[in-house]
Amino acid sequence: MSEKKTWIRFFTIADYEEEESWLRNQHQKGWKLLRMTPPCFYVFERCQPEDVVYRLDYKNSTEDSEYLQMFRDYGWEYCGQCFGWLYFRKSVSEMSLEQEGEIFSDDASKVDMIDHIVKTRMLPLLIIFFACVIPQFFRALDRGVSGWLIFWVTMLALYLYLFIHCGGKLRRLKAKYKNE
Amino acid sequence: MDDKLRRIYVPMTESGFYILYCLQRPQHGYGVSQQVRQMTGGEVVIGAGTMYGSLSKMEKDGLIAFVAEEDKRRLYQITALGREVLETELRRIERLYKNSKGVYLDE
Repeated sequence: MSEKKTWIRFFTIADYEEEESWLRNQHQKGWKLLRMTPPCFYVFERCQPEDVVYRLDYKNSTEDSEYLQMFRDYGWEYCGQCFGWLYFRKSVSEMSLEQEGEIFSDDASKVDMIDHIVKTRMLPLLIIFFACVIPQFFRALDRGVSGWLIFWVTMLALYLYLFIHCGGKLRRLKAKYKNE
Repeated sequence: MDDKLRRIYVPMTESGFYILYCLQRPQHGYGVSQQVRQMTGGEVVIGAGTMYGSLSKMEKDGLIAFVAEEDKRRLYQITALGREVLETELRRIERLYKNSKGVYLDE
């Protein structure tokens, strides 16, 4: 039996670059990603410490075999998916050029991925926020202080935090890609 | 070619141009990226995600068409519309090149 460990870590939809570096860091310490269990459980397995690049692609659909085949042709090992994110890795020792460690080679495709995240993740969240969280919050407010009010205040704060954090971060990432 | 396509594809990104150029004969995505790498001496390396996205978009816009499947790999080839876009782009690049060489300055 190989040694395993499970980590709980939460990355928002805008933190994929941090998630990639964190996974690379774990592999350098001798822990390779075995699988992801939603919502935020990372199962690692003991391995030889190695410099392995991790990359995340956002598809928000079930992976098709041609898509995975193309990544395999490029030398990417598929390590699973979680909430629309697909996880790939490739050992640095297998690369002859630095660019081989990237899945997106131009700014246009990086920006496309962000637009796709905004359209399929941020917009639904906004709709839930305005159609459900806000009305429920005011309804609870009318009824006075109760457990429900605390619940909806927490939800309101959580949503606001996510919107500000993710919205701002995605905008900054987009600007960064365009200026590169 | 309608205005919408003209807006998206004229001028094209470097990756986009090479992908369309290489698909004058049927190929799959990884084959195209290998050919582009060779043609440019390793200067232009198209990533897997960029390649997949470009092929899907070009297929949707009718510039290339799916012709066959080979071991789970989709082979694509340029369409008549794709050729029209490629030729428009080639004319633009040729003009750019000629002008950069200063042909009009000598006259």
